Amino acid sequence: MSKLVGAVAVAGGGVAGIQSAIDLANSGLKVYLIESSTSIGGKMAQLDKTFPTLDCSMCTLSPKLAEVSRHPNIELLTYSEITSIEGKAGDFKVKVKRKATYVNPKNCTACGLCVSKCPVKVPDEYNEGGNNRKAIYLAFPQAVPRVYTIDAEKCLYLTKGKCGNCAKSCENDAINYEDKGEEIEINVGSVILSTGFEPFDATQLEQYRLDHPDVVTSMQFERQLSSSGPFEGHVTLSDGTHPKKIAWIQCIGSRSPEIGRRNCSSVCCMYATKEAMVAMEHDSELETTIFNIDVRAFGKGFEEFYQKAKNEKGVRFINSRPSGVEVDPNTNKLSLKYELEDGNGIRQEEFDMVVLSIGLTPSKSSKQLVNIAGVEMDDLGFVKTRIDRPVETTRPGIFVSGTMQAPKDIPDTVADASGAASKASSLLSSERGSLVTEKQYPTEKDVGDEVRTGVIVCRCGINIGNVVDVPNVVEYAKDLNGVAFVKEEVYACSSDSLVGIADMVKEHNLNRVVVASCTPRTHEPMFRETLMEAGLNPYMFELANIREHCSWVHQNEKEKATRKARDTVRMSVSRANLLQPLYKQKVEFNNSGLVIGGGIAGMNAALDIADKGFHVTLIEKKPELGGLLNTYTKLQDGRSTNEVLEPLIARVESHDNITVLIDAELVELEGSIGNFTAHVKGDGVDEEIQCGVAIIATGADELMPEGYFSYGKYPNIVTQSKLEHMIDKGMDAKNVVFIQCAGGRNDERPYCSRACCTVAMKNAIRLKEDNPKRNIYMLYRDIRTFGRWEDLYTHARELGVVFMRYTEDKEPQVDEKSIKMFDQLLNMNFDINYDLLVLSAPMVAPDTNETLAPLFKVPLDSNKFFLEAHIKLRPVEFATEGVFLCGTAQAPKLVDEAVSQASAAASRACTILSSDFLETIGNISVVDSELCIGCGRCTMVCPYKAPELQEVVVETEEITYTTKKCEINPTVCKGCGSCAAECPTGAITSRHFTTPQIMAVIKAYGEGL
Amino acid sequence: MKTSPRNTIYQTNVYKTGSDDIWNCLTCNLCYDECPQGVDYPEFVKEERDGNVESADLVHKGVFTLLSDMMVDLDKSRTSLEEAGNKDSKVGYYPGCLDFQDMFFNVDADFSSIANSSMKLLDRMDLDPKRLQMKCCGHDQLWQGDRTTFDKLKEQNTKLIKESGIETLVTSCAECYRTLSQDYDLPIKVVHISQLLKDADLGIDSNVDVTYHDACRLGRHMGEYDAPRDSLTKAGANVTEMAHTKEKAWCCGVSSMMNCNDKSKALRKTRLDEAKKTGAKVMVTTCPKCLAHLTCMKNELESVEDYDFEIKDLTVFLADEMEGKKDE
Repeated sequence: MSKLVGAVAVAGGGVAGIQSAIDLANSGLKVYLIESSTSIGGKMAQLDKTFPTLDCSMCTLSPKLAEVSRHPNIELLTYSEITSIEGKAGDFKVKVKRKATYVNPKNCTACGLCVSKCPVKVPDEYNEGGNNRKAIYLAFPQAVPRVYTIDAEKCLYLTKGKCGNCAKSCENDAINYEDKGEEIEINVGSVILSTGFEPFDATQLEQYRLDHPDVVTSMQFERQLSSSGPFEGHVTLSDGTHPKKIAWIQCIGSRSPEIGRRNCSSVCCMYATKEAMVAMEHDSELETTIFNIDVRAFGKGFEEFYQKAKNEKGVRFINSRPSGVEVDPNTNKLSLKYELEDGNGIRQEEFDMVVLSIGLTPSKSSKQLVNIAGVEMDDLGFVKTRIDRPVETTRPGIFVSGTMQAPKDIPDTVADASGAASKASSLLSSERGSLVTEKQYPTEKDVGDEVRTGVIVCRCGINIGNVVDVPNVVEYAKDLNGVAFVKEEVYACSSDSLVGIADMVKEHNLNRVVVASCTPRTHEPMFRETLMEAGLNPYMFELANIREHCSWVHQNEKEKATRKARDTVRMSVSRANLLQPLYKQKVEFNNSGLVIGGGIAGMNAALDIADKGFHVTLIEKKPELGGLLNTYTKLQDGRSTNEVLEPLIARVESHDNITVLIDAELVELEGSIGNFTAHVKGDGVDEEIQCGVAIIATGADELMPEGYFSYGKYPNIVTQSKLEHMIDKGMDAKNVVFIQCAGGRNDERPYCSRACCTVAMKNAIRLKEDNPKRNIYMLYRDIRTFGRWEDLYTHARELGVVFMRYTEDKEPQVDEKSIKMFDQLLNMNFDINYDLLVLSAPMVAPDTNETLAPLFKVPLDSNKFFLEAHIKLRPVEFATEGVFLCGTAQAPKLVDEAVSQASAAASRACTILSSDFLETIGNISVVDSELCIGCGRCTMVCPYKAPELQEVVVETEEITYTTKKCEINPTVCKGCGSCAAECPTGAITSRHFTTPQIMAVIKAYGEGL
Repeated sequence: MKTSPRNTIYQTNVYKTGSDDIWNCLTCNLCYDECPQGVDYPEFVKEERDGNVESADLVHKGVFTLLSDMMVDLDKSRTSLEEAGNKDSKVGYYPGCLDFQDMFFNVDADFSSIANSSMKLLDRMDLDPKRLQMKCCGHDQLWQGDRTTFDKLKEQNTKLIKESGIETLVTSCAECYRTLSQDYDLPIKVVHISQLLKDADLGIDSNVDVTYHDACRLGRHMGEYDAPRDSLTKAGANVTEMAHTKEKAWCCGVSSMMNCNDKSKALRKTRLDEAKKTGAKVMVTTCPKCLAHLTCMKNELESVEDYDFEIKDLTVFLADEMEGKKDE
């Protein structure tokens, strides 16, 4: 093969780009993460909470931002855009234009002095214009990189040559008005496109009156809800009061062929529901109404979330789309006109605020990038892919992920991102490690017995220095026990100060360092690295936060703030004096994989692992590969399932790195990440397999809907999979009725099965195309052809399929020849004669999940599907390390989603397999066996399943007995200390937070009382 | 090396090298009871520990001790079970630190129910009691080697007791009982609730098979073996004795919130095995610490042995039986 370059360019620094970058960097490839705005984070950084768990969006995202910022293999190119991509798969030359920021990132410490002096106010994009920022700004407080940018279009100096305040106020000489930006060329083996979406611009729909200050977009409302937003989380009207009645209008810029936006945007129904619920949490008196066409709650946990909103929280869902917002010319009040659900006319209702649920549209910059990359777009404006290759563009070596490919929510985006990373990494697997270098540090010096602690007290420009009396704190610190040297810095974090810290350690022979400055969240990793450069163990470091905890919160009480700073420094020194060096352990492991389940997900996962050069065993309990897809005959893009399955099976079976065991099941599993022993048994198979990672891809089954709609009672009632074979054989049924949600979205199975609407639409179209004279009636509760599959729904309607809406409380009654149904929209009863009744039955979790879950120590959700580690950001992982999941084992889904997840799971798994050894963290928790009484509480609180109880025989002076005792697996432990806190006997020590260390801090606090 | 009190005394008092064994001792008084010379080794241990509490191996990271320590400095601080009953009563009931145990133990035992049950039983005996809200009695501090804190708690509690106007102080906890009657100098009568219950007619005929676990503070420390047994028999329960009983009874291993480890677990294990052998449905005890630590082992997550009997405080057992009668 021709030249391969072990680097990847990832375009777009949203959650997709971030995930791809982390996966690739962790697999030993060099990553250039290119983002056009000033910070990575994307749209997710603007969200308040995420559905359906109502987790804080920023809280889950910001650790990923931090991970990117300090990853040695990731080079972050923000405020930059790709201008050309030349070359071919394995060897691309990518030109990147870096825009001028006018701030030298090496000197800027993000102290913010310049901001207070900047006189220019600009609507804040991060808050969707809800308040103002300055012309020199940080996009948002958690922005990465933490470097200010001057808005060249607004800056007085750059536009008019006046002001220059920022340069004058900067104490670190970081402002450079002469910055011209630059164009650089990077050489990469692959490119991933993930520049995301643009919220639909609703100003073009004048009838929705976005010009009225109390009509807001859902993004603006999201910022209103956020405590970091313009109103600190209090939803506020233009007159300063708080609304009592809010309406959401769905499908603004989606499902609107009249304006060329045909597709469904996939996420709006859920975010509107979320926004309504969160707003009601803020104000329990609030009335909320969501006007919708269908409520598309199709993802995992969504239907349950929707039902909770509707039935428990009292969010009103009205199945009607107002054609505009009316503004009373006299009172300026907002009202909506809508059709009543019982078909009895039209009502006009007043609301205090109207939120427009704007859709996801391909961004202008994405369209540009698509042209630059030379990849094809589909007719909706998204990057063209195939169902069985959802992250591959039409140009080899260039991959796509996230909302650039189709509108989708965060977990699907994250899965795509890992999937795209997997493809890039497979292509470049031979080049892993070729462009990344491991940093070398000097040999660590012996700490010795004498405590010699150095203290640096930082002024943070005026951030700390103007409030806290820093020289006073410095003098105070000199007399503290164990302190050998104290010094003051203007910016402890500036690059010259860091060198100074390293010199100070050497010169004064220090063995512990306390920096009194800001938060460890952003700065601890950097200071720890400085210690390593000075030959000290990184754990000999302690941060005292005298900015957030002192100068910022007590800025009007300077004396008290100083006293608190002295207290904080005293407490930190007391702990630092007790710190001990901690070391990571390297553990050997088995770098092969195990995939359970030979469906489309399992096969793709196995191939993606095998393509990276690792051995993988694929086990399938049935006698043939193919899984659930074997029971269907066509895909919704018109191709036959065989066209996809046959080559895939052939590749799996012939791949040198894959061992396939069919008719086989996993019966026993021992060990943990890196070293699993799996016992596989079956027809002619009885093997023990050693592997380092495992992927659960056990799929789902189509429910045989016994007891629903007379299924099993009359012969002419079939499920969708049966229908597909009937169509293939040719059938003459004249009147065909579909009933959706047959056995789903009920008390027994409260979830939505996601795929059935699309499958039913595909089959209805086939039947109509087969014989246009056929009468087809589709009885549904909500049509959930999300994303691009909305086109199928439109097409079915165009072909004359009759859609009739039923409700759960008035289900259709099925007799042998006819169906009685009540159409909720027309408020009428119908009798429909049928020749064939097709039931859309949900996918259900196989019974084997319940035996498999405990083997892997992984949880199932309430519907018996496997429960991932985090529903948003870790969709293909378990909390148990080294175990992954993909496909319908996680929840019902379509083929492209299962394939994307399969690659994602493989990507995540290969970040482990591609290392030379497993590395524990330094501050793991350890057990003192003599103190352990085997109560097992640690095993209940550990989120990672690191402690395990092992049987031991205890011999005391007179009694010998058998009991269990805890052992903590060092490769699994994350050092969170939950077990140490829970342990009743003090047997467990969290090594960086020992009881003596914590007690010393408490005592040091007490000394100041 | 095998634990030897003699050895420890030698090392401490003769060779002056000190011995860790003063911290390993459970102060259960078993050796004192056996010693032909009447050497009060636990008392020796208590004196040796004084002033060295930092060396003590406290369970639950010393949180109970920390709470009581803070009570000394915070004048108005009291245990959280509020004053109840007849405020002019001459009979006071002191629940001790049951509320702390509810806060920090997670062993499937309801400690406050001991206080509620005690009040119900005292009511049934027409004693018209008042529930006192005081500070921690200081038992643990005294035995952990912090006499200074103990003395302060003692002083503050003594004042509270005097102000309360009661003439009899009833405790349900063996440790409180020992401490308030032996280590305090109270001008009033201190009794353990079993000493009242043994003669009381609660109108119960329970007929439940039980066994009684002697708490070291009530048994060997205070010599009260019969009252709890008599209370049970009087209520119609059938008491079967364990292999080690009364003077010879084995300890739960965690008196004074110290030494919860695999050695003391051996004692609990033996104790539960003995209780199992009696065939009793309920193992009754009179000390919340015995209750906590025996229950902890009985309910451990992946128990090697199954123990399918209940463990209850004497007062809870009797009050439950009494209320069960009422229900019928």
